[in-house]
Amino acid sequence: MEVVITTFPWEVVLILAPLFGALSCFLWPKSARYLALSTVFVSVLSVVALAIRLITTGSYRHAIGGWRAPLGIELLADGLSLLMLGVTAVVGLAITVYSTGYFPNRQLLRFWPLWLLLLAALNALFLSGDLFNLYVALELTGLAAVALTALSGGRAALISAMRYLFATLLGSMSYLLGVVLIYHSFGSLDIMILAQRVVQSPVVWSAMGLMSAGLALKTALFPLHFWLPPAHASAPAPVSAALSALVVKASFYVLLRLWLEVFPPGQTAMLGELFGALGVAAIFWGGLQALRAGQLKLLIAYSTVMQVGYFFLAFPLAMAAAWCGVLYLLLSHALAKAAMFLAAGNIIYFSGHDRIVDFDRIANQLPMTLAAFALAGVSIMGLPPSGGFVAKWLMVEASLKSGQWWWAFALIIGSLAAAAYVFKVVGHAFTQTTVRGQTNAVPALMEWTALALALTSILLGLVASWPLAWLEIGGMFSCESAR
Amino acid sequence: MVCCRQTATRLASGTSRRGQRCEPDNQRCDATRDQDVDAQNLTQWIFDTLTGLGLLCLAWMALASSQLIKAIVLFVAFGLLMALTWVRLDAVDIALAEVAIGAGLTGALLLAALAKLTAVQTATSKAAHRSPKDRAARKLYRMPAALLLLVAAGLAYSVLSLPLNSRGLSIEVGANLDASGVGNPVTAVLLNFRGYDTLLEIFVLFLALLGVWSLGSLPPHRIEPAGPVLNTLVVVLAPLLILLAAYFLWAGAHGPGGAFQAGATLGAAGVLLQLAGWKPGPGFARLPWKLILLAGPALFILFALFTLVTGQHLLEYAPERAGILILLLETGATFSIGLTLAALFFGERPDDAEGR
Amino acid sequence: MTTELLYALVGVGLFSLGLYALFVRANLLRKILAVNVMSSGVFLVLVALARRTGAVAPDPVPHAMVITGIVVAVSATAFALMLMLRIVQETGRAELPDTWSE
Repeated sequence: MEVVITTFPWEVVLILAPLFGALSCFLWPKSARYLALSTVFVSVLSVVALAIRLITTGSYRHAIGGWRAPLGIELLADGLSLLMLGVTAVVGLAITVYSTGYFPNRQLLRFWPLWLLLLAALNALFLSGDLFNLYVALELTGLAAVALTALSGGRAALISAMRYLFATLLGSMSYLLGVVLIYHSFGSLDIMILAQRVVQSPVVWSAMGLMSAGLALKTALFPLHFWLPPAHASAPAPVSAALSALVVKASFYVLLRLWLEVFPPGQTAMLGELFGALGVAAIFWGGLQALRAGQLKLLIAYSTVMQVGYFFLAFPLAMAAAWCGVLYLLLSHALAKAAMFLAAGNIIYFSGHDRIVDFDRIANQLPMTLAAFALAGVSIMGLPPSGGFVAKWLMVEASLKSGQWWWAFALIIGSLAAAAYVFKVVGHAFTQTTVRGQTNAVPALMEWTALALALTSILLGLVASWPLAWLEIGGMFSCESAR
Repeated sequence: MVCCRQTATRLASGTSRRGQRCEPDNQRCDATRDQDVDAQNLTQWIFDTLTGLGLLCLAWMALASSQLIKAIVLFVAFGLLMALTWVRLDAVDIALAEVAIGAGLTGALLLAALAKLTAVQTATSKAAHRSPKDRAARKLYRMPAALLLLVAAGLAYSVLSLPLNSRGLSIEVGANLDASGVGNPVTAVLLNFRGYDTLLEIFVLFLALLGVWSLGSLPPHRIEPAGPVLNTLVVVLAPLLILLAAYFLWAGAHGPGGAFQAGATLGAAGVLLQLAGWKPGPGFARLPWKLILLAGPALFILFALFTLVTGQHLLEYAPERAGILILLLETGATFSIGLTLAALFFGERPDDAEGR
Repeated sequence: MTTELLYALVGVGLFSLGLYALFVRANLLRKILAVNVMSSGVFLVLVALARRTGAVAPDPVPHAMVITGIVVAVSATAFALMLMLRIVQETGRAELPDTWSE
């Protein structure tokens, strides 16, 4: 048994299972929900097996077709990809379970194949070690995300989906042109080989600029965030959860890989400062707009814009503690933001709208949902004990250690803004309104999944040493000082 | 290097015989050869410059044109000129794919969308109101042309700073071509060395169809009945296209061609049939046709699972069976691509269309 | 300047033209055309520079990348066109309303 787990290529299962699941959901729509649930279970088990394999035998690469790079494509399985795959599996499971209750039947039939393809695309992206393969995975992710956004069919959803589509296509095209320049300079598309070959040159400047701009657009860094709030606000709640929690992280992951492996270290300083400045702007702008938002999902979407600003603060800091901090932030934000969107979905299911001032004693009617939202808010604010707190602590520590204290200042201001808008929502949940509307009972399953995700993000704050240790598999950086 | 000259020798009988005389490294011959090469270079230069300018002009005119129909037609012409450029750059496989998919099917999709656009606008007749705020805010989106010129100049500088000669990965491909099971290096890369990219790409096409079908249905629009010319043309062309697709599929192993070109040709046949008035009934969204639609992705996944279960690397071919396996996967892909492209041209899900 | 560099510069020009049109033109169909022109530009750079191998056949890996790219582009175009038609059905206009005020 031990031998099977440590030698079987679990990463391949993670990619093939959702693809196979998507095909079967398309062929047999009547049993789609069971097929989807089994696929997601298989994914979760595979991630666990992959984790066991990585922890016992260390990181490794899988040469597809038996052809090693640079001729073939290689899959990278190391600590960083393991953590991204893990959070995708957990959030994916929660959203799958939640969706069985959320969607009306007709939409549900169209949801399953698209959703499983999105999961497959994300898994393929997190495992890929080849620049062009990453482009195809990014396109697959983007198209699936847009199709899911447009699923509710309303006017706002369609318009925001179209804007999202153009943004994602522009981002991919820019990224691809960068890949073209790098391939024709250094003769390989493989990340590990390029890590050894890339040297400073004007072509690398252009390629860096193009790829960073494209990926920053896909990650919605201020001022390229314009497409995100309408898209995440008008998509169906489980889709918004997936978009904010996972899809936005995918392009950031690619940028991080490129930054750490491919871009030559001497050339990245200026770009890092630019990212830091834009991150601070994102924190202020996102926080301001979240406070002004009248609808809950729009507020949560602007919160994502703000948190993306945090992610980009790691680039000017560029030290191990900062990377560990931002990766931990990726994980805890994914769990907390998904929980928030699922809670918002519950409220919409219950009262038919998400206008914050018109909440009618949600605290009494949906106590579990409110608890989920509040717990998720704790992580977003960065209060102990939560994953968000550990992450922010690591980043503040890095910022003070390197003498660039102004980033710590931005982090703290951001936390204050987050506290303000979380309390705004929680406060309105206790109030009454004069206008009473129709209410629907929310299935218990939906409330439980939201709460479970929120609890997981708190849990990340209590068991920080394990994930941080797993990040070190593959030797990209050490989180020793953090533990 | 051997140089051959045209010669005319006078025979004893008084007549002259034309022939060729070949000798190595003849000085005079070098001079003539240089002149020939110079003339050839000059014509190449003229051709390349004209083609390059033509591409830029067609693209500009297509994007700047005031009428949508003109824009689309110019875009199709741009696609055809691109195909010529691919041939010039020794990329014949891409030229076939560009003509079939890039200029052909994309052009058909665009024209169909334009036709449906006017139909939908008249059918819904929603009042188009434009508030003054819209107009003012629109100016914010105008990206300064100067910034764009800067970006273009930077990119041009980077491109010009690349070395003039570079083998890229052609050496590795050449060295492993025999073990790949096919003779065409592009097919070898697409289906064997980087077959995983092809797997994901086939799913992208499937995803596009899923996306289009999930968007729901449009108001019904009137289709002009096909005239006698179109009917005759379709009767002649559709079987020809199917034969051509089979040829591309077979020839792709050793020459230009392959699954994508073949699939696009099949898709073109499907588009022609629809233009002649044939409409897919609701049965096309049921199981047997769904299986054909999924033939490409399904065969790829089944093969991938097979390699996984037998302990090999993902998508690993045993060298002696590689050729036949590649042909099998390409056949599935051809059917899928053809049916998917034809379905994308139709637009809505066939049972949605029927249920109206 | 060699043939390859000439066509690569044309590709850069096409990319820039498409980028400009994507921002400036408001009609959705024109934006879709602009995206297609941009991708053609990227492919042209890719294939033109692949011919720098000298007297032998060009590098086949960029050719495979471009074929993949063409299929991805047609998939995105088909989906974008349907989305555009649905937007016209809902709003009556083939344009994105400005949301700068959001």
